[in-house]
Amino acid sequence: MVHETINHTELLEDLLLTRRFEEKVLEVYQDRGIRELPHSSLGQEAVGVGACYPLEDDDLLAPSLRTRAAMLLRTPVEEIVAGMYGTESGPSSGRTTEHHMGSSEYGILGTTGMIGSHLNPAVGAALGNRTLDNDRVTVVFFGDGASQRGEFHSALNFATVQELPVVFVIENNQWTEAMSIDKLVDVDDLADLAGHGLPTEIVDGQDVEAMVEATAEAADRARSGDGPTLLEAKTYRYRPHAETMPEHRDEATLEAWKDRDPVEMYIDRLLERDQITEAEIESIDEQLQTTIDDAFDMAESDELPDEETLYHVYKDTEIDHWKGVAK
Amino acid sequence: MSQQLDAETETTTQTIRESLNQALHEELERDERVLLYGEDVAEYGGLYKISEGLYEEFGEERVFDTPLAETSLGGTAVGAALAGARPVVEIMYADFLPIAGDHLINYAAKMYFNYGDETSVPMVVRSMYGTGDGHGLHHGQSPEAWFMNVPGLKVVMPSTPREYKGLLKGAIRDDDPVIFLENKMRYGESGPVPDEEYTISLCESDVKREGTDATIVAIGGMVYEALEAAERLSEQGIECEIVDPRTISPLDTGPILESVEKTNILVTAQEAPTFGGFGSEVAAQVIDDAFFYLDAPVKRVGAPFTPIPFAENLEEAYQPTADDIESAVIDAIET
Ligand SMILES: Cc1ncc(C[n+]2csc(CCOP(=O)(O)OP(=O)(O)O)c2C)c(N)n1
Ligand SMILES: [Mg+2]
Repeated sequence: MVHETINHTELLEDLLLTRRFEEKVLEVYQDRGIRELPHSSLGQEAVGVGACYPLEDDDLLAPSLRTRAAMLLRTPVEEIVAGMYGTESGPSSGRTTEHHMGSSEYGILGTTGMIGSHLNPAVGAALGNRTLDNDRVTVVFFGDGASQRGEFHSALNFATVQELPVVFVIENNQWTEAMSIDKLVDVDDLADLAGHGLPTEIVDGQDVEAMVEATAEAADRARSGDGPTLLEAKTYRYRPHAETMPEHRDEATLEAWKDRDPVEMYIDRLLERDQITEAEIESIDEQLQTTIDDAFDMAESDELPDEETLYHVYKDTEIDHWKGVAK
Repeated sequence: MSQQLDAETETTTQTIRESLNQALHEELERDERVLLYGEDVAEYGGLYKISEGLYEEFGEERVFDTPLAETSLGGTAVGAALAGARPVVEIMYADFLPIAGDHLINYAAKMYFNYGDETSVPMVVRSMYGTGDGHGLHHGQSPEAWFMNVPGLKVVMPSTPREYKGLLKGAIRDDDPVIFLENKMRYGESGPVPDEEYTISLCESDVKREGTDATIVAIGGMVYEALEAAERLSEQGIECEIVDPRTISPLDTGPILESVEKTNILVTAQEAPTFGGFGSEVAAQVIDDAFFYLDAPVKRVGAPFTPIPFAENLEEAYQPTADDIESAVIDAIET
């Protein structure tokens, strides 16, 4: 059983960090605004948290705009928050939003505002790592929406024929902005879209342990040279697509998903198995809350970036950025 | 040809958003071959509510939501147009146009040339650009220069509510493929729109303000910045003429040349990076055809040669405004 090999305190910390962070984002956004428009991952946290848990520190992550867990588990919290505020201490000192951050230091493949355009680059990163002869695995997260693009098929096919070390994780929250998946794809399981001779597995995305187990297996396969795997994590978001959009989804369905809340489910299970105490949970929670609050305080008093920060366009050539010509 | 409203025209003051919605409504009603589709355009009514109510009115055969697949939006529109329909597709943000770029550049633009008969590609791709909302590098780029170098495509960038309506209707009736660019920061801008049915033909530049001292050629959202700059300059005794090409390509240079012949000063204004941009082409056309009328070097206002930044102060530094136009005009006159 996989739960016997998990360090549950650590995994719970990861899950609670993501949950408390997302709660704080909403609270601050509603109270006084944040420059980056939140696309909340509340409700979906177990997918990213569980998938990241069994990975090596130098495995590469290619998150979607909603995989906050992947960003948080690799990057200091205060850097993430500064990234959302567009201040000096953010990952690119305010050049781009935290949503799109890329960092070789933290093993995050630069992401994009083009939904699904990161799939082939993620496969390419695996190709690069094979070329460099290391055993880094690339884990790429994307939504049901991204699976509707041709990029999805070409990326799966390329990775499969080249037997590249990639784990594809669909975060199937069943909504593509305000469009229901039922209208956009005619299969019940997105795993059925795959084909390409690639192994697939459907995972309960609300069950963090199930995510750990499925990803551990897929990452092992990838690392031992047996090629990619596609995991379809079934999940649901608690918030509208973005905080500027109204909620238009069926309330009963949303409530039914909340009954299977990933944080509560995991905590209940741990308490039942006597793997943690209420007091321990409380102390983890308090500590996390302090870290998160401090990070927001820091970002709020952080400086805006220097204008020079903008002039980071070509690495090898100096240009006059106003005339657009080489110096 | 100036397209000022004459005094007798009955008008209603309304927003760009309302004008676009009316244009779509009227064209869907007028011509059964017109289709409207894209991501979130039907049930949700468009991310910025441009197509609100149309799905309810015309039904899902005519107005529908699609999978998240810009390649399909571009490619199916080409096919539908070749088969005789008049598709209007929405590719939400113009930053996503390159995903459909193959179909737009290599297919739509070249089929009239390629066919042995009069078959053309009467399709419209609506898409948004515009900076100033902190959306960062992938949700606000001005793409006109990416497409104006493609023979066969028409690129339209309206400015006022009246033109958004008239030009969208004109674009839908036009037999060539049109990229219709909407400034997402200006949807709420309002102005007079004729009550009677009308269309505006593509490829006709318009004089937005008359003046004798300097010509400002401004496109899209920058027309508003140019008007503001002209007001301020007027207080300093400088009268600017503003030419709004409205269609970027094929460009109607007539009114630009006439204006420069009168004012002898040329300033261009766009949101995209200056290098390799629309203003550069206007400058070159004026140098070709009106060089000896110029009293000073041409000034081009635009963004620096960087992606669109996210931080508030960086975005402010990046975004060209009325201030930049005002100082460009003064610089040119003082040269
Ligand atoms: C190429 C592209 N098309 C459209 C959009 C607009 N858009 C942003 S998020 C989104 C929905 C994405 O759905 P999904 O992939 O399921 O991810 P989720 O938001 O559910 O996490 C859309 C259509 C985009 N950003 N990029
Ligand atoms: Mg989704």
